[in-house]
Amino acid sequence: MSFQPSQPQRKNRSSLIVAVASTVVVAIVAVVLLSRGGDDDTAATTTTASSSASSASSVPDTAGPTVGIAPTSLPPITNGGPATVTGSLAVAGSALPQFPESGADKAVGLTFPDLTGVKVTDSSPLAITNDGRPKVIIYLAHWCPHCQKEVPLLTGWIADNGMPQGVDLYAVSTGVAKDRGNYPPADWLIKEQFPVPTLADDAKNTAFGAAGLTSFPSFVAVGADGTVKVRAAGELSIAQFEQVLEAAQG
Amino acid sequence: MDVASFNLLFALLALAAATGALIVTVTLVAPGEAIRGLRADIAGVAPYFAVTVAAACMAGSLYYSEVAGFIPCKLCWFQRICMYPLVAVLAVAALRRERAAWQYGLPLSLVGAGISIYHYQLQQFPSQHSGFCTLEAPCTAKEVDQFGFVTIPFMALAGFLLITVLLLAGRTDPAQEGVAP
Repeated sequence: MSFQPSQPQRKNRSSLIVAVASTVVVAIVAVVLLSRGGDDDTAATTTTASSSASSASSVPDTAGPTVGIAPTSLPPITNGGPATVTGSLAVAGSALPQFPESGADKAVGLTFPDLTGVKVTDSSPLAITNDGRPKVIIYLAHWCPHCQKEVPLLTGWIADNGMPQGVDLYAVSTGVAKDRGNYPPADWLIKEQFPVPTLADDAKNTAFGAAGLTSFPSFVAVGADGTVKVRAAGELSIAQFEQVLEAAQG
Repeated sequence: MDVASFNLLFALLALAAATGALIVTVTLVAPGEAIRGLRADIAGVAPYFAVTVAAACMAGSLYYSEVAGFIPCKLCWFQRICMYPLVAVLAVAALRRERAAWQYGLPLSLVGAGISIYHYQLQQFPSQHSGFCTLEAPCTAKEVDQFGFVTIPFMALAGFLLITVLLLAGRTDPAQEGVAP
């Protein structure tokens, strides 16, 4: 089969269709160029945020959670300092063995390494060390949809119950990728009013690797003696999260 | 232009493609003499539009992987497998004025659209895939999320749908389809 020669009138109408389609494409390109031209200042801010510390403008002036949480029982989300995307991080101690896909977790009973760095939301110092208190460390990636679901779930639980009395909660912002959406992580955590002090992992995901983890979100329960009690990977329900808390308390 | 600008560009093009697919679909199913005339007009240009859309989709996916640095996930690769051959097949068909091209193109565009639909809904409801992400390219991650709903598989779906209806529109001979001038 082949095309038949078009009649002049039809040719004119076909040309009109091509012209309309071309106009639509040109209009879209023009809209993009015009809209991005006005966003130069914003783009510059975003570029700055890709370095180790972003400008303070990305952090709201208001500090601390506001929804249903007793302010005295919770640490502030931010003290107003500049947010951190990926910070310098010090690890003391041995890295944990890799989290197994199945079978026994060889990390249980091993000492969790000390992590020292800065908070992702305001760059203030933050250390997760063997301080004699049970703790649960939550590893989050800003672009991961499962983490995006877990954070409001945990925030809601903390809003209802307050911070757990016998267990310290920490989080680690890791796996940072500027082009993977929901970036930068500090903006996301502040928007979600996530009250858990969150350490900024470095660009090499050192804290993530030191915990032997392979996926997000992940949870590590550490007992008062500094040893790992349980590690969990993936979205947890509230009931499962409470089990992790209990495991940390021994 | 930066990645954000291209995200906006591709998102608007995808919305235009979805609108175009809807318009062409209406001309394919609606009755009436005027619609028949429009259908014949679209049939005349459909092969060229189809290859243009396929080429634009390929260029967009290559931009995201080779320039923006996004790592294609498994489902992205499956959609590429459907889209990239369409460029060559439809280009040769358009140059040769082959109206039978729909027979080769339609299976690719339909399979591609099916994968795009699955990928898009997976992004919207990620828990059905797994409860976690890995550092590699997860199929559930939204590397682009323009206007709150336009993601990369949405863009691919719009492209596949427009190509599909253009192939269907282009399978008829405009001279036989059209109304007498």
